[in-house]
Amino acid sequence: MTIFTKRSLLGAAFGLALAVAGGTLPAQAAEGYPSGPITMLVGYGAGGQTDLVARAAAQVLSGELGVPVNVVNMPGAGGSVAAHELMKSKPDGQTLLFHSNSVVNSAPFIMERVNFKPDDFEYAGMITAYQVGLAASKDAPFNTLPEYVAWAKEHPGSSYGALSPEARMYINRIMEKDGIQVNIVPLKSGGEMLNALLGRQVELAFSGGIHFRNPDELKTISALTTFRQPSAPDVATIEEDGYPLAMDTRTTLFLPKGTPRDILDKLGAALKTAVTDENFQKITESANIPIMYLGVDEAYAEMNSTYEKHKKILSK
Amino acid sequence: MEHLAQGFLDVLTPATMFWVAAGVTIGYVLGAIPGLGKATGVAVSIPLTFYLQPVAALGMLIGIAKGSAAGSAVSAILLNTPGEPSSAPTALDGYPLARQGKAQKALKMGLFASVIGDFVSTVILIVLAAPLARYALLIGPVELCAILLFSLTFIGGLSGGSMLKGLIAACLGIFFATIGLESETFVPRLTFGLLELDDGISLVPMAIGMLAVAEMIVQAGNLKKLDVETQAISDSSTREDNIVTGAEWRRCAPVIARGTLVGSLIGILPGLGASVGSFLSYGMTQRLSKTPEKYGTGMIEGVAAAESADNAVVPSSLVPLFALGIPGSVIAAILIAAFILHGLTPGPLMFQQQPRLVADIYAAMLCASFIMLAIGYTCQSIFAKIIRVPMRLVIPGVLLLCCVGSYMETSSIFSIYVMLFFALFGYLARKLDFSFVTFLIGFVIGPKLEFSFRQSLQLLNHDPANLMKHPIAIAFIVLTAATLWWLGGRKRVQGPSAAGDGGAVPATDIAQHRKGGSQT
Repeated sequence: MTIFTKRSLLGAAFGLALAVAGGTLPAQAAEGYPSGPITMLVGYGAGGQTDLVARAAAQVLSGELGVPVNVVNMPGAGGSVAAHELMKSKPDGQTLLFHSNSVVNSAPFIMERVNFKPDDFEYAGMITAYQVGLAASKDAPFNTLPEYVAWAKEHPGSSYGALSPEARMYINRIMEKDGIQVNIVPLKSGGEMLNALLGRQVELAFSGGIHFRNPDELKTISALTTFRQPSAPDVATIEEDGYPLAMDTRTTLFLPKGTPRDILDKLGAALKTAVTDENFQKITESANIPIMYLGVDEAYAEMNSTYEKHKKILSK
Repeated sequence: MEHLAQGFLDVLTPATMFWVAAGVTIGYVLGAIPGLGKATGVAVSIPLTFYLQPVAALGMLIGIAKGSAAGSAVSAILLNTPGEPSSAPTALDGYPLARQGKAQKALKMGLFASVIGDFVSTVILIVLAAPLARYALLIGPVELCAILLFSLTFIGGLSGGSMLKGLIAACLGIFFATIGLESETFVPRLTFGLLELDDGISLVPMAIGMLAVAEMIVQAGNLKKLDVETQAISDSSTREDNIVTGAEWRRCAPVIARGTLVGSLIGILPGLGASVGSFLSYGMTQRLSKTPEKYGTGMIEGVAAAESADNAVVPSSLVPLFALGIPGSVIAAILIAAFILHGLTPGPLMFQQQPRLVADIYAAMLCASFIMLAIGYTCQSIFAKIIRVPMRLVIPGVLLLCCVGSYMETSSIFSIYVMLFFALFGYLARKLDFSFVTFLIGFVIGPKLEFSFRQSLQLLNHDPANLMKHPIAIAFIVLTAATLWWLGGRKRVQGPSAAGDGGAVPATDIAQHRKGGSQT
């Protein structure tokens, strides 16, 4: 189904490009926008947290802009494949990417051959934040990061579940600083991570936020964001505990470089209605994903500052 | 479960039943079409269910998953191109049966086995979801590693005529599975700088190329002979060949029971999946049979074993999802998003917060089993006519659908290149008589075994003595050793005759084909 819409959409995009070339000023680009169905790329497969938010946001955008917004999952290399695809698209707002901003502010420092920079794209806003944290079983003998470190010192050879390079980075830095010895157990997905924690295979694990689904069995030990997390407001951030390692990631609306500013504004305004949209609220709330809207200008500022900060943290 | 009665009342309304039936039908047809499978079907349908009531929407999605697991047997039997990798063992015996003019019989057996496996596994989900999920948590990486090792001893028997060639194919499967980011240290392996390969070779386009496209090429090279055979088949339709006889039921009943059990257990364990279930069930059935050498020539038990396990995996893989919020399979992972979109967060709180919706879904799943039987039975007589269509009309359509199916998962042309590469590979494997089944097993199980082994090393703190704390793992290691010893012992005793058996297999194959033709 998506294939056919995509094809007709290419035709529409081509028509718009001709119209622009035919003398329409870019400043008025938003007037005829959107000129047809919008393609929303998502850099993860169907069924993940990001995909969930993307589909809910697509519904909101579609309602605001009055055209269908078709979600196209293009998984691969943490979103880099989809981001490359976006770079090849026309900067007319008809193709956009809904993805974690980690693909620009973290992936280049972690993955070989990925070298995105903040000014490779335009941004129309950010909508939700990831509640990344360190999680443990409810009855674990520690509640905070300092308590965990003290416990791990007395119990060398305990296990830590890591599902990404960032996850390894955190425990490695903690091990370096505090001189503890922990075994890093590789995990493949959030589901496996839950399994390992609930089955008491590992004592501590890095979580992208999925652990909030089991509030009766799991607890958060440390928030790995610069802010305290809405789902666990009493848990200190890792920076409060004295490790300058907090990294924020948010779902972001990416557009190809050169997209006119008024199209960005129009998209940003449409995205903002998601904040008060009942259905969007319901979906994000039941998945424990906090809405933290940032407008167009704020999104640019956030992208640039986190890029510099994560570069320092990750390329040590 | 007083809620369940209420659930049936909620579900047995025309609107809900319509959508569940629609889901099963879509799934069955998608499954039957080579190249399109359940994962794509469910993922594509999620947006379509936005406008439905939660029960209808979720019933429809689960219906698609269930229906396509059953439908994939159809193309495996009729065209020798499994709709999904998990139906590859079905083709091993189903296709020879179809060429003997017993397509209807094989299709019926496949459907009955599917429905029984599916129904029993759904009941297991309903009755035992919570307690079973707790036990499944005892199965950590260390135990999983031992279980995978054990399952390999059974699957080793699927290598076809030559054990050596089977092992070579399995090694190649493992080799191709190593491509991509290495999962412990995230170093890219063999990606040649292609970002698309960072996540490894995706199973869907690989299996489509290897199983469907390659088979179409082989059949295209065989058109004349196939046309003659098709002519012969279209004339043969005695009643015996079109139904499942009482004797066959008696032979297959224990096979289906075992397949259902194996499939249900594999579904509950995290990360194993339908392919492991059907391969393991087929392998066990062959190993435990009195006439293992006849498998691959049209044994109805082979179809029953593979299909019952294949379908039993689907409902039981929802056990960890419902009870713990953990997705146990690709389907379950995709369903999470659908559940949340429709206001149901999978996990332990689900039963307390929305018992009625859960009961409704259970009722819808049970209804879906019966709808599957009805729809499968109706569709089969239509599908079975495909075998009478000349292959030169079937091949182009199948190739088109293969391309569509490969493209859909990633929306990128790269998947089609992957499909073409493995089509070439699969073609050579067929021509040179290397088993593509063991290749698939290597591809699917090899990396899981490696990964769980590396997890185990960390969990055991690099000390083998810590293995003593994992009694389940030790039990499976002992079982593995015992099975190997038993297999080795049997080989030694039968030494000379075993070689004779190996030679006899192709002979029977031809004989059976001739017999199929002469019955006309």
